[in-house]
Amino acid sequence: MLTRRRFVGYSALSSALWANGPLLRSAFGQENGKGPLRLAILGSVYREGSALQTIADRFMVGYPFEGDWHMPEVKVVSLYVDQRIRKAEAGPNEFQKAMSGNLKAAWLRPTPGVPALHDDQRRVGEKKAPAAPPPPPSVPPLDELGPTSDLSEARAKQFGFRLCRNIPEALRCGGNRLAVDAVLTVIEDDEYPRNERGKILLPNFDFFQQCAQVFETDGRSVPYFNHRQLSFSYIEAQSMVKTAERLKFPLLAGASMPVTWRLPDTDIPFGAKVQEAVVVGVGSLQGTGFDALEAMQCMLERRKGGETGVKSVQLLEGDDVWAAGTAGRWSKDLLSSALSRSDTPLGLTWLDGRTQDLTAPGLLPQLVKDPSAVCVEYTDGTRGTMLLLNGAIRDFNIAARVTGHGIVSTQFFMTPAPNETHSACLAAKIEQMYQTRSAPYSIQRTLITTGILEASLHSKHRMNERLDTPQLAISYQAPSESQYSRT
Amino acid sequence: MCFVIWHMYTSSQSIHPEEVLSMAETTPKRPQLAAVVTAYKRMLHPQHIVDRFLEGYGLNGAYHYPEMDLVSLYVDQRDGEGDLTQERSGRHPKLKIATSIEDALTLGTGKLAVDGVVVVGEHGNYPLSPEGITMHPHYEFFEKITAVFRASGRAVSYFNDKELSWKWDWCKKMVAISKELKFPFQGGSSLAVTWRVPSVEFPTGATTKEAISIGYGGMGSYDFHGLETLQCMVERRKGGESGVEWLQTYRGDNFWKAYESGVWSQKLVRAALSRSATLRAAVPTFTDMLPTIEQMKTIVPNPVAYHYQHRDGLKSTMLLLGGMVRDFTFAAQIEGQPKPFSTQMYLPMPDGRTTLASFFTPLVYNAEKMFLTGKAQYPVERTLLTSGLLIAGVESEAKGKRIETPELATVTYQPYPESSYWRS
Repeated sequence: MLTRRRFVGYSALSSALWANGPLLRSAFGQENGKGPLRLAILGSVYREGSALQTIADRFMVGYPFEGDWHMPEVKVVSLYVDQRIRKAEAGPNEFQKAMSGNLKAAWLRPTPGVPALHDDQRRVGEKKAPAAPPPPPSVPPLDELGPTSDLSEARAKQFGFRLCRNIPEALRCGGNRLAVDAVLTVIEDDEYPRNERGKILLPNFDFFQQCAQVFETDGRSVPYFNHRQLSFSYIEAQSMVKTAERLKFPLLAGASMPVTWRLPDTDIPFGAKVQEAVVVGVGSLQGTGFDALEAMQCMLERRKGGETGVKSVQLLEGDDVWAAGTAGRWSKDLLSSALSRSDTPLGLTWLDGRTQDLTAPGLLPQLVKDPSAVCVEYTDGTRGTMLLLNGAIRDFNIAARVTGHGIVSTQFFMTPAPNETHSACLAAKIEQMYQTRSAPYSIQRTLITTGILEASLHSKHRMNERLDTPQLAISYQAPSESQYSRT
Repeated sequence: MCFVIWHMYTSSQSIHPEEVLSMAETTPKRPQLAAVVTAYKRMLHPQHIVDRFLEGYGLNGAYHYPEMDLVSLYVDQRDGEGDLTQERSGRHPKLKIATSIEDALTLGTGKLAVDGVVVVGEHGNYPLSPEGITMHPHYEFFEKITAVFRASGRAVSYFNDKELSWKWDWCKKMVAISKELKFPFQGGSSLAVTWRVPSVEFPTGATTKEAISIGYGGMGSYDFHGLETLQCMVERRKGGESGVEWLQTYRGDNFWKAYESGVWSQKLVRAALSRSATLRAAVPTFTDMLPTIEQMKTIVPNPVAYHYQHRDGLKSTMLLLGGMVRDFTFAAQIEGQPKPFSTQMYLPMPDGRTTLASFFTPLVYNAEKMFLTGKAQYPVERTLLTSGLLIAGVESEAKGKRIETPELATVTYQPYPESSYWRS
């Protein structure tokens, strides 16, 4: 069966065939090592407020960093946006359009300075229509674009980069060899299909594979950033990590929660023994659930002995979440400590402004209709629990019991929309990898988090069974220096 | 008449003899507090502050209940919808709703019967002064409270939210009386004590020639927060606070002319804006970008600057750039540092971003510390100076020119060595 996710691959293959003639000449090709780094941006959807817009724009207009407005030494040279291609696929196909002469669909408008598609689509020997010069590209002015508008064309015009119809084209900038120095991939759920287990089939792996194929074919690999989880499939995620090792390119992944500011500015002391951690947040398992799991992981990986792997994962839902707390599967003290860091309690605070202890008896079950908990047992005995308590709070907080240090607790400061400056913290890490060709933290963190998330979805499918996770016997060491924003 | 400060210690509190003038007749017990406030409604300062004493609050990783009792409450304006006084007193039977300030402090005994006073003079409906500042009743409350102190021969710790008064003579008088009656007096804005992002303190004893703060809101209200943002930092500079010689307010076209001609540093503005989490992009479809001055003009309809010089030469500028930011940031050029020193004073503002105004937490906690130790946690002279700067800012605007501020030139003080901002 051809799933929507797989479509990307096929689409790219077919559209790669278009890359001929004038398109083979890159308008932006620069010698590696001279001038700013050339960046290819690949994503699912580029509209105002999307993750792609929030992060990718930073490589065009700069971002706040350490008390200055930082302009990266990066030049965006190409952009591939999956949604544009998928939308086009939903309409008449290229052949039908060519036959009907209708090639002026919005998504197909040429990028200024880049040869127009219909020039390339002309069959060999066909004569150019003499008296009808193509109309000038009409990119609507920015203030006419609404919140649902695709911004790809507008950005391409403003910043002079190539709008691409497939991933190899974006990486080769229309030429026949890799013509970028770095890749940024930001994929989010944009009506991608679900499988029978409810997994959202995001095409991270497909994007990655296509890039890796270009790297391998062209004999050069460049730093690659993958926003959030590596894949919905742990096997695919493992394969991505192995491929990056084999082709020797730095691979960084993950969300901004592990690297954003903290309130207070604190971390688990490096090398300390950690008994248990509870992270509490909101959203869905496959949405912000990943971010919260990764944020917990970025703190737990600092514990004594480093990361030694995950023994089991269980997803609890509904009243089982509260029962597990009563039974001591997760610590109520740690939840209480984490909640004390929240600035968004939704009980009586919402009603009349008063402060309120959310852990008062019976209150949380009253506020939270659909609680879920991911209970993680690590091989060294450390326990970690992620609680998603929609209805109780709106922010993300953690507490951990650390031997000799008592309870360490903090809020991951997810700064307000639309700025979402927390993603500037992430952009700084991405740029650091691009410039140094070295990831500031281990891809194993994202891999193990991807695995925990997948296991929790499997647990859900298996009636919330506790699942042994031998596949998550991953060992790695965290950098001794904390990687979240502090300066 | 002998004024004695009574300090009530909990058993966990260490007792220093020099701090205690008289403990002969008392055993350690929970301090009893009276609150005197303007109006008690959802999201008003009195609600944020009084509720923390009544209901407890999240603090430093635990739910904290103050080790003291709020035993009486006087609410100046109980009219109108949404008054919470009855609801709170219903659930907190120990809380007496007082009919007068005197009643709140004496609890019907005829003399001062509490160990501390919490005064919130912000919000409520009070008329504007001829200068255009809301005449919040801080001074009127103070006068009545200190009258009870005098009549009882005893004065207790006094917390005063935000500025001292809208009238300079009253500000000065309040500080003078607190010194005369020898009671701990602590006030100011939560900006001085809230989280900083990043969590940094102005280096004590550092030399600085210029500092700015950027905030939002209007004159006569949020300007006080901007002034406190500046002052809680620059008071730590070499020599401490030396007083302020003159002040000039810039608005409208004059503001932009002054900005463009470098009256205050564009470099510091850039540094402060780079600490903002709410910087509005002036170009549609972008969500986070640094505006040019021309772009700023399109999104800031009513810019305000209070530009003033301290006696030691430091130039400070408080900027209100509503329309462009919704937070408070600080930047200063510190001698010996290659780039500006900067941070954000973070207010988790319940305007949709949060539900809980957690910046009242460190404000109340610092007040609690004063009630337990009998020592103000930061100098009241800071609040005196910022109250005076606000009044001077409004006056300069009215006169349309720079004004000399001899009365502020005499406000000199040293910072307290320990930082009092929230960081744990």
